[in-house]
Amino acid sequence: MSGARPGLHVTGARVAFGAKTGLEQIALDVAAGERLALLGPSGGGKTSLLRALAGLGGLLAGTVRVGDTDVTALPPEHRGIVYMHQAPSLFPHLSVLDNVAFPLEVRGIARAAARRRAAALLRHVRLDDVASRAPGSLSGGQRHRAALARALAAEPRVLLLDEPFSSLDPELRADVRTAVVDILAERSGPAVVLVTHDVDEAAAVGDRIAILLDGRLAQAGAPFEVLARPASLAVARFLGVPNLLRGRRHDDGLVVSALGEWRSPGPAGAVHVTIRPGAVRARRDAAGRIPAVVTAVVDRVGATWLRVRIGDEDLTVTSDGAGRASPGDTVSLVVDGDDAHVIEEAHPRSRDVR
Amino acid sequence: MRPRSPRWFLPLLAVWIAAPILMLGLRAVARGWPFPGIVPVGGVDAGAWLGFADVRLLSALVMSMGLALITGAASCGLGFGIAGAMVDTSRRSRTLAMALALFSVVAPPIALAVGLQVAMVALRLNGTVTGVWLAHLVPATGYLTLFAAGVFGAFDFSLHDEARTLGATRWQVFTRVTLPLLGPRLAEGVLLGGLVSWGQVALTALVGGGVVRTLPVELLAFVRAGDDQLGAAAALVLTLPPGLALGLLHAATRRSGAAL
Repeated sequence: MSGARPGLHVTGARVAFGAKTGLEQIALDVAAGERLALLGPSGGGKTSLLRALAGLGGLLAGTVRVGDTDVTALPPEHRGIVYMHQAPSLFPHLSVLDNVAFPLEVRGIARAAARRRAAALLRHVRLDDVASRAPGSLSGGQRHRAALARALAAEPRVLLLDEPFSSLDPELRADVRTAVVDILAERSGPAVVLVTHDVDEAAAVGDRIAILLDGRLAQAGAPFEVLARPASLAVARFLGVPNLLRGRRHDDGLVVSALGEWRSPGPAGAVHVTIRPGAVRARRDAAGRIPAVVTAVVDRVGATWLRVRIGDEDLTVTSDGAGRASPGDTVSLVVDGDDAHVIEEAHPRSRDVR
Repeated sequence: MRPRSPRWFLPLLAVWIAAPILMLGLRAVARGWPFPGIVPVGGVDAGAWLGFADVRLLSALVMSMGLALITGAASCGLGFGIAGAMVDTSRRSRTLAMALALFSVVAPPIALAVGLQVAMVALRLNGTVTGVWLAHLVPATGYLTLFAAGVFGAFDFSLHDEARTLGATRWQVFTRVTLPLLGPRLAEGVLLGGLVSWGQVALTALVGGGVVRTLPVELLAFVRAGDDQLGAAAALVLTLPPGLALGLLHAATRRSGAAL
């Protein structure tokens, strides 16, 4: 390892989870102050990976470094990694203030000093008015902020958040998510790995997204990059990419699909083409080149999407607004070709997240 | 809407539970109660209570209380230790341990007593306080293992994990998280284990061999000798600790807001 690199660095990690095959060849680099959203299906080993990184068991092979310190063999309390459980587990026998003071006291800081620092942290997360209350009396959002304050009191170099918003009601989730992101942004410090199975949440919270599929990291990158350009068919399907058309690439790199033709150098053979619904507009007139039949109308906030059929392919497209289409209508499609992305069927299964 | 109990339910339950205690109380203070009378005769006679001033009865009372205390504490330690170890063992081992604990509870006390008497004779502990204490520990530990397994079943172990990553060592997790959270349950465990010991007759009589004399053993002797009044007085004293324990538990659970 060359020099001091603040943040989390994982190489060649193999992690056991349940009775199934574990995670293989996991490599992660998360810079200090960066938020990586680890996205994957439920039961896919995301929690097992976090627990292994925190030293709570399950790491079969590989190296975990925090900054330039190899913490692989260190017990959880000496790693500088704080793991926040799915439902915030505040200690029920301690007041909110004493919960936040807990990491300071176990490090040997005098009780009075620890409580002063804890009070400052509670002010920071706007919970100073509930400092003396029992955790059980807090609302869901308050519990999250208190747990975050407690985690920050430990001054972690890495913060692992395991589905931190999944236990909240939908209407509260967005507010708490925003509050947590703001708090973390204000305290630019720990590298944050946040686990979720919600694509929108990952995109909203993560500076980068990493996708864990079939026991391996399948893709990582900026949210827009990953969502617009899934690296494999499996990633595209997991992300719920609405338009996934079959196509064929010829020797000269010309990709042909029901929506048209694109130049995309690569090996000849079967491919899939993805394209955002916003990049395909349905017109009621014949100005578009590709005829399609409307099968459903999907009204969304600020837009209307149409489900259309071309041959045996189903697509989601946007309506250009010139009159409302109905199921059974014939429309013509105008395609913004720059937005198309070609996926080779034989894509490598795993990529390092760097 | 919560279903309501029938009107007759509570009075019936009260009579069912209270009647034997009431009869004991009457018999303990009545001068006489000849068969087949349905009420005592001869007015009040507190003579039976003077029996407790007798050295033999007082020492039996002290012996019962001492045995209950050390059996309660030891069985609580053992029960929580076994149940705690079961958390991380295989399902098969857990099932086996639970079956053994359950067996010590449901096995007929006299059968358990005969088996333990044989064991204590072999260990040369028959007729000793240590032997009786060890014998009491068997069913008490069974009860406490089942009780502690229930406690651990409801325990949130994610607290341990978070405490560790927040910087607490194993010992700090034990002293600052586990013990404070389990404290009330441990107190209940000591009480429960003590009550199991408090009511033992067959085990004490067989393993104690007539040398170790607890209050239940003396009570049995009074009844056999036909001294109903002293027997009733001793029986009343025997019922006091369970009643007191229930009252304390109720008060503790009301304070902590948990359901009894």
